Parts: sequence; structure tokens; C-alpha cells
Amino acid sequence: MNMKKKAISISVAAAITLSMAPAAVFAEGDMPTIDQIKVGEDYQDLEASIKVLTNRTDIVDTVYKGYAEQFMELYPNITVEYEGVTDYEESLNLRLTTGDWGDVCFIPTSVAKSELSTYFTPLGDFETLDEIYNFCPEKSYEGTVYGIANGGTASGIVYNKKVWEEAGIKELPKTPEDFLNCLQQIKDNTDAVPLYTNFAAGWPMGAWDAYIGIAATGDPDFMNNHLVHAKDPFAKKDDMTGPYAVYYVMYEAVARQLVEEDPASSDWESSKRMINEGEIGAMVLGSWAVQQCKDMGATPEDVGYMPFPILVDGKQYAGAGGNYAFGINNQASEENQKAAMLYTKWLIEESSIYEDEGSIPALKSGELPDALADFEGVELLSDNPALEGEETLFNELNNESEVGINNDDYPDCEILEAALYGSSTLDELMDNWNQKWSDAQESLGIEVAE
Amino acid sequence: MQKTRKPFMQWLKSRKGQKCILIFTFMFVPLLLLFVFTYLPFFKMIEFSFYKMKYIGPKTFVGLDNYIDVFRRSECFKSLQVSIYYMGGAVVQLALALFFATLMVFKTKGAAFFKGAMFFPYLICGIAVGFIFKFFYARGFVLDSILQAFGMNPENIPMWLQDRSINNISLAATSVWRYTGQNMILFLGAMMSVDSELYEAASLDGANKWHQFRYIILPSIKSIVVLNLILSISGSLSAFEPPYVITNGTMGTGTYFVIMNRLAHESQKVGLACAMAIVLLGIIVLCTVAQKLFFKYAFDDGTSDESRAAVRKRKKAEKAARKAMRGGSAS
Repeated sequence: MNMKKKAISISVAAAITLSMAPAAVFAEGDMPTIDQIKVGEDYQDLEASIKVLTNRTDIVDTVYKGYAEQFMELYPNITVEYEGVTDYEESLNLRLTTGDWGDVCFIPTSVAKSELSTYFTPLGDFETLDEIYNFCPEKSYEGTVYGIANGGTASGIVYNKKVWEEAGIKELPKTPEDFLNCLQQIKDNTDAVPLYTNFAAGWPMGAWDAYIGIAATGDPDFMNNHLVHAKDPFAKKDDMTGPYAVYYVMYEAVARQLVEEDPASSDWESSKRMINEGEIGAMVLGSWAVQQCKDMGATPEDVGYMPFPILVDGKQYAGAGGNYAFGINNQASEENQKAAMLYTKWLIEESSIYEDEGSIPALKSGELPDALADFEGVELLSDNPALEGEETLFNELNNESEVGINNDDYPDCEILEAALYGSSTLDELMDNWNQKWSDAQESLGIEVAE
Repeated sequence: MQKTRKPFMQWLKSRKGQKCILIFTFMFVPLLLLFVFTYLPFFKMIEFSFYKMKYIGPKTFVGLDNYIDVFRRSECFKSLQVSIYYMGGAVVQLALALFFATLMVFKTKGAAFFKGAMFFPYLICGIAVGFIFKFFYARGFVLDSILQAFGMNPENIPMWLQDRSINNISLAATSVWRYTGQNMILFLGAMMSVDSELYEAASLDGANKWHQFRYIILPSIKSIVVLNLILSISGSLSAFEPPYVITNGTMGTGTYFVIMNRLAHESQKVGLACAMAIVLLGIIVLCTVAQKLFFKYAFDDGTSDESRAAVRKRKKAEKAARKAMRGGSAS
């Protein structure tokens, strides 16, 4: 009943803001917004020469130049030129302030949200663009979007498709228990190590923390807002969601001996080759690892990436984050800004850039690249920022409690150790984390929601 | 004014004044370095240990809370138990070093080569040693292959880093490997100062090598043995590199330093880590004093080459001899 009311009130609020949106857009003058502009139709007679800055010096003269040439066939009067910048963040920070840096760039991460309007052309209203493009909140300020992410990455589990096939697994697991059963099947039917923990390197254990937010709860506010105020966030939930479910997978995989024989002497560098060549079934790592695993062996086509197996109300979620976002120079001439907007829109909507880079497309309606085909039907969300005034709260609590989410690998290592030696149960460990969390909440005077 | 200045200038020109100027100018730089890089940070650390603070950001004075916390935490003092393995390692290391040094002091073929080879591990930096042994102990790598080559069944080979009954021994062995050569060179240096005619004289009297070691070498290098023992024991209390690099303090190998490092860097509890450092300093001072007292009680203070008991014995014998001589002349 309550939920229904809430839903209604949200949709009413949305409708009100939406109806106000056009007025805000037209107030910007005669610059169009990126959703209004029609690539291939508008501004056919516009003459401009624009420069695009990129950090990808490795492909700037090949792949990116190719995109520019395709676009120039569509708009013969516009010239697009690329410039590769080494040491991108540093150089851009200096060049941005001069105003004369080019027309399109990847917005450096160090530019604060409140400064976006100083350097970049508004691309449109947040409410409108957020419906169309992924990762809009990351580069918007006070209801206006200043940058559109050049796609993004999702977090899941690296696996070897062939090994899973050979083990006789038809469908990817969706719950922790399913996943563990699959690992058991791999152990029984193949010679591969079902799950390789990379324990010795330390950080791959810390990598498990990345799934306790969106993947485990489906709640974009969990990491930065709810976790801080939660009472006993690590406790077991009946529907096997939340942080407990993530660590349950780790604990049980180790306890059921579905991991490498001697975690203490695992080796990260060789694990990349092993998963490529079918000696490992799965590794729990961020999507950045996929390319590295593909590069390290003879069968890159076998390396796949699947969402973390937790169902929240019958639905799977995956945490996703945007790559660098495109921003347009607001100091450039109006023609250039319009041309830049045309090119940006063409690039993120019509070029093959996301298929080529294997990342989540900028368009919400866009199809996922082959590399992320297993994320079909999975809701991709990114973490909402912390409320104003509470930005540092999570770090303080995290350090004070020594639970070390996304920071200290050791507590995750302890879970594996406990499972390996059978020295304590997962419930005992999680109770201990809850205790530390509550103590720290108390000592920092953080309000705890029941 | 001028009256006082003149004598001072004169004093400066005098031999004594020149001496003072020399002393001060030469001492200034090393003392400044010592102060800036040793004492200043040390006193700062003491100060930090009374604050709740991070590396960046404001700090709040909390009095003795950090110290109370150190004693309340179970992991701090549990980690000192791990040091016992390293102390055991230190004893083994001294015994080995003494053994090899003694072998080399009697003319051995290829002594120079062995000296170099044994000293070499000490020249490798601790982190690199850690990486070497990470692969040495890894499942199916160096050590396992060697044991298998000798016919050991792979199933009987323990997991050197995972099995909690031996992993600390494995780690302590790496520091034995690293420091044995260095101890040996120190011992060898001390042994060189023993007059080699003593060995000849002893062997004429029928002393074998063990006797020579026990009654000639050991008494003459006793002070350096005691010094090395004290250094190794305090070193074991602050063992850091092997567990940090090889196991990252997991699987029950976390020494006091590893825990301290984690608190300071991962959890940013700088004040607490400083308090831990001060507590460890106290423990090391206690251990050193206890050792000193022990050696004083057992074998004099370990600094002179003759124990107090031996001195008494000698004096008594001398007295008796004098008495006998007097008695002899009287009769």
C-alpha cells in the first residue's frame, strides 16, 4: 500500500518536472540540446572545423580517425581532427583553464561538478537526458547535463565459457546457491579449478567488496547512503541478498573445496593465462580484467563475463560506472559547438565505438556488446553519490570500524581463512563485522536507521 | 661591550677556542641530520600517539586512549607470539653462523668463495628476498620440485605457506637464510683477531677442534656473540618483510609490525599505530635489559673477554701461587 503511494507521488513529481523541462532548455539561447538535434538532417550546411582531444593515444590515429572519416562523409562541410594527449588528466587540467583547447574532450575526473558549467556547454536537461543516456548523474549539476559518458563498464565475474559448457551447465546461475552448484559441477566434470581466488595477491580478495552494493541489493543508494546508516548491514537476509550473500559465495566455495588447492601460493599473472586456456572456471574480478585475461592466452574467445549471481526480488542487478564523458567547449564559436554536438551525438549513437571497445553503450536503448552479452536483462545501475554533507562519512566509518570495504583486503582474506581452516562460521564473522560497524557508528555519532 | 668582546675574540684565536670551533663545525651537520631524521620524527611519533588522527585532516587529543586500545586488542599481543618463531630462527641462525665461521677460520679450501656466497643473501633487499621465497614455497614450484626430485610423494609435501603449523617456520627460515651470512662475517672478523699460535699450542697439548672452539674461540668472541644475540632478538620482535611480502600477514603470520602497518595505512588510525610502536619500543627495551641482566648473571656482562667467575678463579690461583712462593722462600 505504502509502496504504491510512493510510486504515485514519484511519478507525479516526475511529470511536473518533465513538463517544466522545455522551458529550461529554450532559456539557453539558440543552442540546441543533444536530444533535439538530428544527426544527418540538421545543420547540413554548417561549416566548421573541430578538434577532439582523447587519452587513447594508442588508437587515435587508427580507430578514432576512422570514426572521424565516417562522420565527414555524412557532413562534408565539417572537418573533425583528433589529438591524442599523453598524461591526460594533468595536461587537461592546465589546458581547460585557457579556454582554447579544442572543441570536444573527455572531461577530466578532477573537474568538480560545480565547475562543469565553467568549461562545458550544457547538453540538455537532466530529466530528459537521463531517460535516454546511461550514467548521466555523473556529469550533471543542478539539473543540467554537461557530459555524456563514453559508455561504461559493469562488474561481474570472469569465466571460461568452454569450461562451463564442458561441465554441462546450460544456463548461467542466478543465485548464490546455483552458482556454487555450478562450481561443484565444474569440479566433478572437468579438470579446471572451479573458482580461482588469487588469495596471495591480496587485492583480488578485496575485489569482492565491489558486489555488496548494487549487485547484492539492487539499490543505487546502498553504498554511499544506506550502508552508513544501516543497522547490522552484514547480517544474513532470508532472501539471500545483501553483503552476506556475496561473502557467502566466497565462504562456501572455499569450505566446499571449490577453489585452488593452495590459495596462499596462488599467482595472479599466471591465473590470467589459466582462465584463458580453460584451467580455471571463474574469477571474481571487475570488467577491466576481461581484456587482460583475453590477451594472455591462445583462446580469448572463451573468456566471458557474467553478472554476479544474486536475485533481488527476482531480478539481477549489476553495478556499472561510466567511462570518461564527452564534454563540449563552451568558449568555442557557436558553429563549432553545434558541430561538436553533432559529432558527439553521432559517435555515441551511430558509430561502432561500443562494440569495438566492448563497453556498455551510452544509449540506454543500445544493445550490449558481445563481450557483455550475458548481462542481457540485467539492470545496470551506478551508485548514487552521498548526500551533501555526508560525503566523507562512509570513509570515516569504514576506517574507524576497520571493516575496510573497498579499502582493506585483510577482512576479506579472513573470510577465506575461516572457511579454509574451519575456524569460524560466516555468521560469526559477519556478526563481528556488524559489531565493529555499530561500535564505529556509535563512536562517530552516526544516526542509525532501524 | 668592547671589553667583553675582545677577550672572546682572543679566546677564539687561542688553541682551545680553535678546537671548539672545529668540534662544533664538524659536529653540526651530522647532529642536525640525526636530529631532523631521527629524534624529531621520534618525538613527533610520541606526540601522535596521544591523538586520534589520520594522515590528513584534523586531529583530536585523546590522552591515553590509544594505549588502552593497544592493550585491549587481542590481535596486538597475539601477534607477538608469532615473534617466537623468529626468535627460534635467530638462535638457529647464530648457531649456523658460528659453525660456518669456525669452519672457515681453520684453513678451508675455497674459503673466499664460500664467504662471498654465504654473505650474498644479505645484499639482496628484503622485499626481493620475499618475492624469491614466495615462488620458492609456492605449490608445485621450487621447493616442491626439489623434494619431488628426491622422491618425495607430492601428497606428503605440506603447503608451506598455508599450513598454520609450519607457515611461520617457513617465513622465519627466509630471514635465517638472509642474515646467517652477515652474522658469519661478523663472527669471522672477531675470530681473525685470535692469535693463530694459540691453536697450534692447543693442538700440541692435544686439544681437538671442538676444544679449540670451546676454550679458545668462543671465550674470545663472546662479546660479539652476545651483541648479535641481542640484535637478533629485538629484530625478531620487529620482523616485517617476510610476512608482509610473502603472505601479507594472512593465515596467522601477521607479526606486530604487519598489524601496525595495516592499522596505519589501511584503516588510517595513525595515532593508534604510533602508540603500538611506542609499546613495542618498551617491549624491546625490556627484552634487551632482561637479556643483559641474564648474561651478566650467567657469564659476566658479556663485554669483557673473561667472565667474573674466571677472574675470581685466576686471582685466587695467583694469590695461592704467591703464598706458595713466599712460603717456599721462607723455608
